[in-house]
Amino acid sequence: MNEASLIGLCAASVSFGALLYLAALGEMVSEKAGILNLGVEGMMAMGAVTGFMTALEFGNPWLALAVAVAAGALTALLHGWFTVVLGAEQVVSGLSLTILGLGLAAYLGKNAVGRPPGAVLAPVDWPVLSDIRWIGPVLFQQSPMVYLSVLVGVVVWFILSRTRTGLALRAAGESASTADAAGHSVVGLRLAAVAVGGGLAGASGAYLTLSLTPQWAEGITAGRGWIAVALVIFGAWKPGRVALGALLFGGTLALKTRLQTFGVDFSPILLSMLPYLLTIGVLVAISIRARNRPSPAPASLGIAYRREER
Amino acid sequence: MNRPVLVRREQVLRGGQPRSFAIGLVVALTIGIVLLLGAGHDPIAVYERMFVAALGDPDSWSVTLNRAVPLGLAGLAVAIAGSMGLWNIGAEGQILAGAMMAAGVARIGEGWPGPVLVTAILVGGVVGGSLWALGPAVARSQIGVNEILTTLMLNEVALRLVQWLIHGPWKDPDSFNFPLAPMIPDHGRLPVLFGRAHVGVLIALVVIILFAIAVNRTAWGFELRVAGSSGATARYAGLSLERKTATVLVMAGGVAGLAGGIELAGTADRLTEGISNGFGYAGIIVAALALMRPSGVAAVALLFGAVQIGGQSIQTMGVSSSVSTILQALILFGAIGAGVLSRYQIRLIPGDPGGDEAKAEAS
Repeated sequence: MNEASLIGLCAASVSFGALLYLAALGEMVSEKAGILNLGVEGMMAMGAVTGFMTALEFGNPWLALAVAVAAGALTALLHGWFTVVLGAEQVVSGLSLTILGLGLAAYLGKNAVGRPPGAVLAPVDWPVLSDIRWIGPVLFQQSPMVYLSVLVGVVVWFILSRTRTGLALRAAGESASTADAAGHSVVGLRLAAVAVGGGLAGASGAYLTLSLTPQWAEGITAGRGWIAVALVIFGAWKPGRVALGALLFGGTLALKTRLQTFGVDFSPILLSMLPYLLTIGVLVAISIRARNRPSPAPASLGIAYRREER
Repeated sequence: MNRPVLVRREQVLRGGQPRSFAIGLVVALTIGIVLLLGAGHDPIAVYERMFVAALGDPDSWSVTLNRAVPLGLAGLAVAIAGSMGLWNIGAEGQILAGAMMAAGVARIGEGWPGPVLVTAILVGGVVGGSLWALGPAVARSQIGVNEILTTLMLNEVALRLVQWLIHGPWKDPDSFNFPLAPMIPDHGRLPVLFGRAHVGVLIALVVIILFAIAVNRTAWGFELRVAGSSGATARYAGLSLERKTATVLVMAGGVAGLAGGIELAGTADRLTEGISNGFGYAGIIVAALALMRPSGVAAVALLFGAVQIGGQSIQTMGVSSSVSTILQALILFGAIGAGVLSRYQIRLIPGDPGGDEAKAEAS
């Protein structure tokens, strides 16, 4: 193991971490408002394919990103319509959204498979900072999506914990009838949160096809949407902790392809179980602690709200 | 301005479920037409091919029935848990675990006589699936860990365990270094009924009927449904929920695991990472369309089997197989929408959306 490969590992952990972080932040916003969306994988695939195809067509990566965000949000709003407006089961609707999104993405992207990207989000070269030993290559030669994910993380944290809108949103997730009684539109808040969640999942997908692995192939999301769902739990619904978890889980993704170069005789496949096993561990720990203190999960998570039936 | 709201109907519309199901199908096929036209295909020809390939003659029926087996058992695995108000999202992982255990049995029992080996493989499947559900079952019943999330996470773990096995310890030495597990011995395969339909079809049907009777017609099933509709009532009636929760989840795992064993010995003939191919997730849709009733699972599974087999067949016409994936999801969305509308009706009430006026009226 030499210095260059170690730097490569750290840099890749950050890149993968940002990918997971974007999608997880979106899922967190949605869950904070009380809507569990298990469609992340599908929304990510929709963002990935629409972003890639927009780049093919127009050659502008930022337009591609915008389209991917819109596609993710629109896909998510299907879930929103069924779960928030009609009050359907969130688990079933979300899983169907994953199936639908993966199918639709495969269908839309049929002719884009194997084609070279029309545009990529090129890594940002920061003056001075990029040249710092270690820190430069790990933190300051990354795709713009990495910096964007940090920015989104701060914005989400600020809105959720420091603004009235955030308070209302959390109220919708903790106790919908209370939020309603306080004069907030629970349906509006929840729909908005679901759309934001989908938009961020779409952005995460676009990051994949415009920067991380600039190509489109069916199944390119490879279960990372599920890691994002796990990450929200692992991070106990807190943006900061989710960020740390994203680095850790991103690290396992980065390490997976590098184990052999490091001469470690351990199956990369077994390593890739780690995020899920850690999340199960955290779930168990949360439940054990919940005997003494409240669970960090939003209290109304997964429960439909119908004003007429409260 | 008038505001639309959902108001519960005094009476649920009669024939609600089959009807929502039909509406879902119509919605899905209609959107499918748009998709097919958009890709330059003749929708009628495509649908006709799908129908013929899935239900056109006894041979295609046999393939469709085979496909309905894992879908129905996975649906049952979700519905058993669902009738107690639990969410078993882990059928996918339980199928894989069942297939792994079954493949393990097939490795050990190569020298056993046919009937013994086949039985052992299927039992292995049940045991594997049950064991995979045991962790979430205990965690849920003893310390209240959310079973949706644990079973979901374990799906991904099971998939990687299968990948690890076929890339490593169980890789066939004769596979020219391809990650393939060896075929199971010929005498370990399920006997064939007709066409390509294997005896797993009968086994699955019997299991589904048994559970439908157990849930609908026995005291045990009644307690289950009481616990599902109201945990408080069940506790008041002195039912021990902890044990029931654990048993039900383990049973559900066993049923899904059986599907893994049947797939291994019936259609796949070797352990592959695609041996479940999303059956566990499709099973959740099947169970949801059957309203979590074990008795409804078989019919829905047959329909989904037909959609899947039909969807595979149109690939030869140059149509992406993703069309059938999309159709399956759309059937569900259409049915959910129709299901809600059979219980609720849309009324327009005066008032500004979210405005003070509407609030005053509602409260």
